[in-house]
Amino acid sequence: MSEKDHAALAKAFNEDEPRVDWHDQTLWWVRQKRDRAARQVPDWEALRDTASAIKENVLSRLSGYLEQFEAAARENGVQVHWAADAAEHNAIVLSILRGHGIDRMVKSKSMLTEECGLNEFLQESGVEVVDTDLGERVVQLAGEPPSHIVLPCIHKKKEEIGEIFHEHLGTPAGNADPQFLTHAARLHLREKFLTRRAALTGVNFAVAETGEFVVCTNEGNADMGAHLADVHIASMGIEKLVPLRRHLGVFLRLLTRSATGQPVTTYSSHFRRPRPGQEIHIVLVDNGRSVHLGRKDFRNSLKCIRCGACFNTCPVYRRSGGHSYHTAVAGPIGSILSPNLDREKYGDLPFASTLCGSCSNVCPVKIDIHVQLYKWRQEIVQAGHAPAGKKAAMQAMNWVLSKPGIYQTAGRTGRWVMAHVPSAVNNKFNLWSLHRDLPAPPRESFGEWYRKNKANQ
Amino acid sequence: MSSREDILARVKANQPADRELPDLPAPGAGMQEQAAQFSRLVEAIGGEVVRVESCDRIEAILQERFSAGQRIVSGPEVQFGRGGRDITAVDNDPHLLADVDLAVLRAHFGVAENGACWITEELMEARVLPFIAQHLALVVDEKDIVPDMHAAYDRIASLETEKGYGFGTFIAGPSKTADIEQSLVLGAHGPASLTVFLVEGGKPGEGRTFNA
Repeated sequence: MSEKDHAALAKAFNEDEPRVDWHDQTLWWVRQKRDRAARQVPDWEALRDTASAIKENVLSRLSGYLEQFEAAARENGVQVHWAADAAEHNAIVLSILRGHGIDRMVKSKSMLTEECGLNEFLQESGVEVVDTDLGERVVQLAGEPPSHIVLPCIHKKKEEIGEIFHEHLGTPAGNADPQFLTHAARLHLREKFLTRRAALTGVNFAVAETGEFVVCTNEGNADMGAHLADVHIASMGIEKLVPLRRHLGVFLRLLTRSATGQPVTTYSSHFRRPRPGQEIHIVLVDNGRSVHLGRKDFRNSLKCIRCGACFNTCPVYRRSGGHSYHTAVAGPIGSILSPNLDREKYGDLPFASTLCGSCSNVCPVKIDIHVQLYKWRQEIVQAGHAPAGKKAAMQAMNWVLSKPGIYQTAGRTGRWVMAHVPSAVNNKFNLWSLHRDLPAPPRESFGEWYRKNKANQ
Repeated sequence: MSSREDILARVKANQPADRELPDLPAPGAGMQEQAAQFSRLVEAIGGEVVRVESCDRIEAILQERFSAGQRIVSGPEVQFGRGGRDITAVDNDPHLLADVDLAVLRAHFGVAENGACWITEELMEARVLPFIAQHLALVVDEKDIVPDMHAAYDRIASLETEKGYGFGTFIAGPSKTADIEQSLVLGAHGPASLTVFLVEGGKPGEGRTFNA
């Protein structure tokens, strides 16, 4: 187990109960908006099936699509780089910037660069990075990672954001009006857009057929950065491809309806060629994806389009907050992607679930998220990464259940103890009873009842 | 081995058995109320639709809304503002557009299911213009509303020139954010308002070239 653990971090988040209630209800409201948006689309379920089948095809022919995409992008005048891991990705970005003598950059939302730890790396290398998505700017100023892939500062109250802006942007103390704070950020970030010569964006979809890539935002920050900069760097995971441009129609119909309940993002920008005088660089990043592709039970998590619907519906995420997952992509999807990167460090995450299956039900590309959570648990326990307490309990249970005599004695003893000295089991040493009371014990076991009734016949 | 060869070899070794591509859903049938649905969606996402019988009306409406001192830039295919108004050549420096109050641009078509308009760089003075302006107005012919995104990509394919667009975008409503406690605020980084001028009639063969 790592030193960070979901249960402990969730407990810290739960110390502020009104905040947990707010977090829970707000995300559930987003989930309801998703439901309403989905119901507006005739054949929504068929659309999910189609999206899933397209992604299955992409994974089965990924090497060919990657080569096709690279050739088409180069034909368009775009420079293509390949990064085996996070370190290589970061080094490529730095070398592009250094090649132009650039030490200040704007960046729009990219969970991949969070996964790679790009900001920290560039800062240590003397490059200033300004996140331009409003939510990401808030957490960057607060010195925190995003807590949600679509709503980065959903864990913050507006009063806290007002405080952060007061400290860093000089807004009046005590002003927590969202309209006012957004306008202050607009002015603050406009100056950055107009003065930075490099912009980095993520990639929502890339098209093998044409070599173009699509970036979706509501704020317009990716476009403001990219169209004003001399150098546009787009970082993408190798799984982001779709075969044909017309496939974008399927995914753009699903993405934002699943994410926030909007019919589509405000901007869905298709970048194909650099404008005159500009350079576009695409960095194709593997970082464990090609290995994950070989894991039969887990590979289809690579179909993910990062909508965040599984976060918003998850009863555990809503009540534990994104930071409790201690990884770039939190929530149910992060809990099945992260163990692929490091199963010891992220071995706790597949256990942060009730296995209710709601995540799989809302997933626009039909990833069997809850089934994979269950399968990861088995892999992690077999690899010896389960917590010591859980391991000991399971071994004891195994011993008792495999010996009928001991099982019957233990049952009788347990019922007597629960009935006569409940405090012996309902206490703080029993982790199970921390948040719930044990049920009233039955007077007798089924075995005892059966023997008695059989004798009476 | 370079990372490229390394990654491709690993992907090839690990990718699952071949899966065929599925058939795509058929584009939505053209609806009678397509333009009305488009208008409803634009309004629902924070934009405004103004129906005009011809492009000449647009000039008069914008004269009422914007004062003489404000900087208005119109793109190719839109005559509004040319002549008396400030149309600074961008000369490959998009930063010169930083103080634009209003951009008026033609869009290729609108999408009824989500209120988005498709516009490529040929119709922008510069790529940044529809994003950097404080306010944006798009001009679309009523006959150029397609039912859904499948029809949209069919239309994009039919508009494709030999070289294809270098940059194109769907614009659906004004720039917005709800990052602070999920409170919706219009005008995050881009235009704080979007007006779509829906030009009535516009019979095919009327002589417009923007869809060519």
